[in-house]
Amino acid sequence: MSSANPGLAYQDTPPLSAPLRFFLTAPLFGLAAGLLLLFDAELLSSRWTPGALAVVHLFAAGFMLQVMLGALLQILPVAAGAALPAPRRIAATTHALLALGAASLSLGLGAGIPAAIVTGAMLLAGGLIAFLVSSLIALAKAAPNHGASRTPRDLRLALAGLTVATLLGTLLAFALGRGLALPIDLPTAVDMHAVWAWMGWGGILLAATSWVVVPMFQITPSYPADFTRVWSPATLALLVLWSICMISGLSTGALLCGIGLLIAAAAFSLQTLRLQMRSRRGVPDAPFRAFRLAMLALLASLGVLLLAQFHDGSQWPVLAGVLILHGTFVGTISAMLYKIVPFLAWLNLTQSGVRAPNVKKLLPDPPVRRQLQLHAVALGALCAAAVIPALAPLAGVLIVAEFSWLFVNLVQVVREWHRASTL
Amino acid sequence: MTSIAELMTHDHRSCDHEFAAAETLAARKDWPAATKALNRFTSSLETHFQAEEQELFPRFEAATGMTQGPTQVMRGEHVEMRATLERLASALENQDADEFAGEAETLLIMMQQHNMKEENILYPMCDTRLGAQSEAVVGNLSHRLAREHAA
Repeated sequence: MSSANPGLAYQDTPPLSAPLRFFLTAPLFGLAAGLLLLFDAELLSSRWTPGALAVVHLFAAGFMLQVMLGALLQILPVAAGAALPAPRRIAATTHALLALGAASLSLGLGAGIPAAIVTGAMLLAGGLIAFLVSSLIALAKAAPNHGASRTPRDLRLALAGLTVATLLGTLLAFALGRGLALPIDLPTAVDMHAVWAWMGWGGILLAATSWVVVPMFQITPSYPADFTRVWSPATLALLVLWSICMISGLSTGALLCGIGLLIAAAAFSLQTLRLQMRSRRGVPDAPFRAFRLAMLALLASLGVLLLAQFHDGSQWPVLAGVLILHGTFVGTISAMLYKIVPFLAWLNLTQSGVRAPNVKKLLPDPPVRRQLQLHAVALGALCAAAVIPALAPLAGVLIVAEFSWLFVNLVQVVREWHRASTL
Repeated sequence: MTSIAELMTHDHRSCDHEFAAAETLAARKDWPAATKALNRFTSSLETHFQAEEQELFPRFEAATGMTQGPTQVMRGEHVEMRATLERLASALENQDADEFAGEAETLLIMMQQHNMKEENILYPMCDTRLGAQSEAVVGNLSHRLAREHAA
């Protein structure tokens, strides 16, 4: 495909194996996080326990990051006209480095092995650099975008957020693993890494995706044009200001910017819920309801974060983390996976000239519905365990079941795809 | 002046609403109403496809010299969607709600990834490349689309 007509050809769609490898291994990291919770009843007593740090990175770097990058391989050509050069090779390299990196980093943090922390961070950074460089090349080659949608611009902003989060994470790994002296204290650096990863990368990516996914797939009115024009740049600007205040020790400024970020996240969540209430699709399906629950979890997490500003207590940051990581991101990501994976299998079969079974034959509704119900129950148990840490093993059992089931459901699609393609 | 992107994007959304009506009625197993709604949706989508295939794409191809490029890909996707529409109609004939739901979900994702490419890439390219012709093209397209919606 020539670059004269970027992104419009089937040929520019990466091969099925490229995103699929990310989607299939990601749930295994969620499963590992559940196992850790199962065997460590003290894990959620504070955000600083080695087990909590390991679980956070199993979720964030193991599950979320993998699915997000796998999905970007697919969405960059369609939404931004940017097809990654050599997608098969980039996918294989990034995937291997990310998976090994997330495993090593989590092991290092959980078991206190400095060498594994540094190795994990370097593998992760290597995978991310490979991905970021190739997506920058693709975006630079893409035709300039004159469309009304802010998605292409905001995908770029999210990649900028990912770059900052990666840089901060790598510095932290060297501080922990090699004793690198940081110019700021460790908790501040950790907060900066977490906020850049959640808001600068995850939040902006979720928003950029929602601008198209919510109106188009849930058939709702569009997000207001002024809202999508301002939201991501304002969020990024607040993040920069907040970081400057944090580094310079301006605590009032940091508090105000932090509240500004909470307001931005709340506005996104409320706006999305408002649009979802006006969906024209008659019967909201399970992924739709899971997405709505995720928006409610996001709102709840903001309330908890606000509370944590004014009330000491180690349970508040843990509860907020649970609501953001598991409630918001695992929820939206699971909902999207259930739409993306069957469709990619269908598209692959159709392109190969095979009469493809429809997406609900590739993955029927009942197992999806039950798995997402289990996700909601697991979220409830995790929230309870954040307040009563002794409940962590119960939450662990449910998380293990949730991610095993997600994995089984996705494998089911691959089996149906295989069966149809060999008929 | 309305741009090609604005006009055609607006028509995508109005087709979406007709799709949603048919899907909702079929889920309720209100077969006669679902059949009417599906016919309305099929007719709107067909008008949209024809407006592109007979008016917009040839103009784009003439202006850019690209006949095997993006417009060819979009035509190919129209063929896929027409085939799925036929399967939807036959699911309704058989009063098979599950089959309809599965085909409808497939069509929706197919249609929206197609729309995303048009709205984010192809239509803005048309607006840029057609230059002075744009006004006439918008006039012709709105005439075709309005005739459908008046019917």
